[in-house]
Amino acid sequence: MAVEALKLIREGEEEGRKILEAAKESDAKITKDAEEEIKRLKERAREEEQRLAVQISDTYTKEGQEEEKAILKNAGEEAEKLKATAESNLGITVNAMLEKILGLR
Amino acid sequence: MGAEEIVAKIKAEANAEREKILSEAEANVRKKVEEAKKEIEAHKKAFITAEERRGAEEKERIVRAARLNARKLRWDAEEAMIAKALEEAMKRIKGIKTDGFNGNSYSDVLAGLIKDAAVSIIAGGSAGVDLDVLVSEEDGDFVTSAMLKKIADELNRERGVKVRLSLSGARLKTAGGVIVTGNEGKIAVNNTFERRIARLSSSLREDVAKALFTPS
Repeated sequence: MAVEALKLIREGEEEGRKILEAAKESDAKITKDAEEEIKRLKERAREEEQRLAVQISDTYTKEGQEEEKAILKNAGEEAEKLKATAESNLGITVNAMLEKILGLR
Repeated sequence: MGAEEIVAKIKAEANAEREKILSEAEANVRKKVEEAKKEIEAHKKAFITAEERRGAEEKERIVRAARLNARKLRWDAEEAMIAKALEEAMKRIKGIKTDGFNGNSYSDVLAGLIKDAAVSIIAGGSAGVDLDVLVSEEDGDFVTSAMLKKIADELNRERGVKVRLSLSGARLKTAGGVIVTGNEGKIAVNNTFERRIARLSSSLREDVAKALFTPS
């Protein structure tokens, strides 16, 4: 009778140990899964950052290029105006220059 | 306590321990993931700030370069027109020898340049000396003894200085104008057109730019 009881208790202890072992294994798996998830999150974040870097750079470059285009267009128009003004003043200017070169003023 | 009760108690304790282990593990994991997400978010924020700054700098660089190019464009246009005006003036000088300029003959122009040079030499203290006038081969005929005597008389009258002017036999290589020398060639005033243009260069350029680019 006592032998039977001891056997039962030992079996119970064995089962209890197995339950704890399984719990520890689950703990390790949960931790490992979480670490992998964190790794994935970081990898995804890195990829997103690279995509954002390209997008931000493109936006600013495009803005700069648009401003560049406007500045050069404006300068080109201004240069044309300068040329036109100079062309219409050329005769008077040359006369004034000649007066100075020839010592007439 | 019977054996069955002992076994039941062992199992209950093991199950309770299992629950504790698992709930602690899950809490730990939740905390770690949350921390990682916060870290990722903070990194992303800093990354975006840095990229925005880099982008703004690149944009500024493009705009600065454009402004520089725009200035160069305007400067090139101005330079081209100033060069054109100078070129036109040099072309007109040739015609002046035959047609005169603004009612002045070329001889009048040379007389003015000779007098101007002589005044400079006199102002330097070389009074009562002989002055030689040098011109190009082409211009030799425009300078007469009568012209030189008239200039000398004017200088005597206006400055009270006795000056004798004579045309040198030596000839210059120049587009026009004169060189007047005094004190046996030790003093020379160069009033050739090339020299006058060079001498007047900076003020001439300023005047030309002002005259050319001021809307009439």
